[in-house]
Amino acid sequence: MSNLTLKNLKKSYGAVEVIKGVDLAITPGEFVVFVGPSGCGKSTLLRMIAGLEVVTSGTIEIADRDVTQLEPYDRGIAMVFQSYALYPHMTVAENMGFALRLAGHAKPERRKAVEEAARILQIGHLLDRKPAQLSGGQRQRVAIGRSIVRQPDVFLFDEPLSNLDAELRVQTRIEIARLHQTLDTTMIYVTHDQTEAMTLADRIVVLRGGIIEQVGAPTDLYDDPDNAFVAGFIGSPAMNFLPCVAASANEVTVAGLTIALPQLQTQLRQGESMKMGIRPEHLNGTNGPSVAMKIDVVEQLGATAFVHGMLGGDLPLLVEARAMRPKAGDMINVPFDPQHVFLFDANGDRIR
Amino acid sequence: MSDATNIGSKAEKRIAVLFLAPALLLLIIFRLIPLGWGFGMSFTDANNAGTARWVGADNYLRAVNDPTFQDSVANTVILLATMPMMVMLPMLLAILIHQGVPGGKFFRAVYFLPAVLSSVIVGAIFNVVLRYDGSLNEFLAVFGFDAVDWLGSSSTALGALIAVQLWSTFGMSVLIFMAGLTTVPEDIIEAARIDGARFWQRLWFIVIPSLRPIIEFVAVVTTVGLLTNMFGLVYVLTGGGPGTATTLPEFLIWLEQGKLNRPGYAAALSMFLFVMMAGVAYAQIRIMKRNAEV
Repeated sequence: MSNLTLKNLKKSYGAVEVIKGVDLAITPGEFVVFVGPSGCGKSTLLRMIAGLEVVTSGTIEIADRDVTQLEPYDRGIAMVFQSYALYPHMTVAENMGFALRLAGHAKPERRKAVEEAARILQIGHLLDRKPAQLSGGQRQRVAIGRSIVRQPDVFLFDEPLSNLDAELRVQTRIEIARLHQTLDTTMIYVTHDQTEAMTLADRIVVLRGGIIEQVGAPTDLYDDPDNAFVAGFIGSPAMNFLPCVAASANEVTVAGLTIALPQLQTQLRQGESMKMGIRPEHLNGTNGPSVAMKIDVVEQLGATAFVHGMLGGDLPLLVEARAMRPKAGDMINVPFDPQHVFLFDANGDRIR
Repeated sequence: MSDATNIGSKAEKRIAVLFLAPALLLLIIFRLIPLGWGFGMSFTDANNAGTARWVGADNYLRAVNDPTFQDSVANTVILLATMPMMVMLPMLLAILIHQGVPGGKFFRAVYFLPAVLSSVIVGAIFNVVLRYDGSLNEFLAVFGFDAVDWLGSSSTALGALIAVQLWSTFGMSVLIFMAGLTTVPEDIIEAARIDGARFWQRLWFIVIPSLRPIIEFVAVVTTVGLLTNMFGLVYVLTGGGPGTATTLPEFLIWLEQGKLNRPGYAAALSMFLFVMMAGVAYAQIRIMKRNAEV
């Protein structure tokens, strides 16, 4: 059984196609994060699910019901906006109870539902205030509270943490995760921040240019990306990409160093140009092949340091160094485990 | 408030005074001095020949007992009672245009057109439309209605005048409302759609409350317009008649001052009008202040 199904969903603005055929099935209770760079269509896709954007072709099913042509209020969804979108002339309690009021629920019943949601979010003391009297974090809680009160089949979050400061963002992120555990309802969450995606998601949907690049659990995307885009987008700091050439069926030459890649199932064609990817955190091994790097800049974070340098004078490389205090200008040897090397062909597709 | 006055050096403050002085001077010469002068004159029997005798509160007592003035105040009350319609109609039209009805831009232009016409031209147009053998009666005759002397009958003249005033001014209000509508955040309307609000519910619960400052502003502007800008239409369309059916205070003041050679009495009537206007202005300031605090 699936809670939400998208079938060959497309959206065009005039001649410009922004969603180019999306298929996705989300199971009940799943926390799915749409992630991608700006302009990738993730917000548009969410708004199509909400019913705020007209679907050009394809279908949306929620709880086994075709809702493609239904109004937002008939879809069984609730949405939390980036801007919170609270009604400025209503109190917090009125904001949260508005949907129930429209649905014709009696006042005591509304009050009870609002107080229950307020208890979960610890905003009971704010109920009689207007949005203008609240801080950004409080407004965000009210916006979440408003969506809880409706008891929807699916929660939609459109970059809900973007307007919060860094500390509050981390707190609220944890609270959203906790909320998901408490309510056990399907949630779809849009963000451009891969950290939010990694920490919150059961499954991540990576979008680019209106198509899905890869869908999978956060660790799957990190450990086994399908292409260079996903490999570069997931993980922070981003993966290093270095040009390399196939030296034999399972060896590549990079920056003058030939590395054996026994994990490869594909037979490489000798002389083929490729891209090699390796994450900064995998460049601090103790043995294995190593490359010499001249340090340009060191970002020292205490526990770890991000070391920016050059290989052979013109290949930029980022190394995450633990347990050492490198200095700019030094030459260091960077050993790594070839097991952590990813290969991508000229189109950016993964060579496994 | 004290923070604002503390900003800037002494030199900057001197420049500020320099810039403010001309406007202040004009205000004193052309507003405050005539006001005081008129106030003084209202206690005399001044006429246009230049003689004036102190008569105490006679003019005011006379005004209170003057049936023409009483009628003009009654007409003003009727006029002001139409104010809600003069605000709500443009608001609804603006909302419909904002919703994106086909040809919205065309409607906006057509609605606004009368606002750029002078009241004399508007009056001339509606003289043709509303007179006994005018186009409105010709049009109604097609449906078998008898001709009505819209401007010449005391039961219809004021209504006709109000309708013409509405026609000639509502375009400006539509424009103000349209500007106001662009400030209503799209996301709260979308949030209301998700919360289950149908079109009219979104209007009632979200759009109209969001427009409250605009509604109040248009209400004040419309009221001021009704109290002070009707002269041209009255002069051209009805001349205050038939009888006193369309006589408004400002028209009466002009009559008393110019035609009937009683500037002293006209000054007293002006004081009544001034008090009415001051009441509106006071309400306006209070509303603006309250909105600023939201």
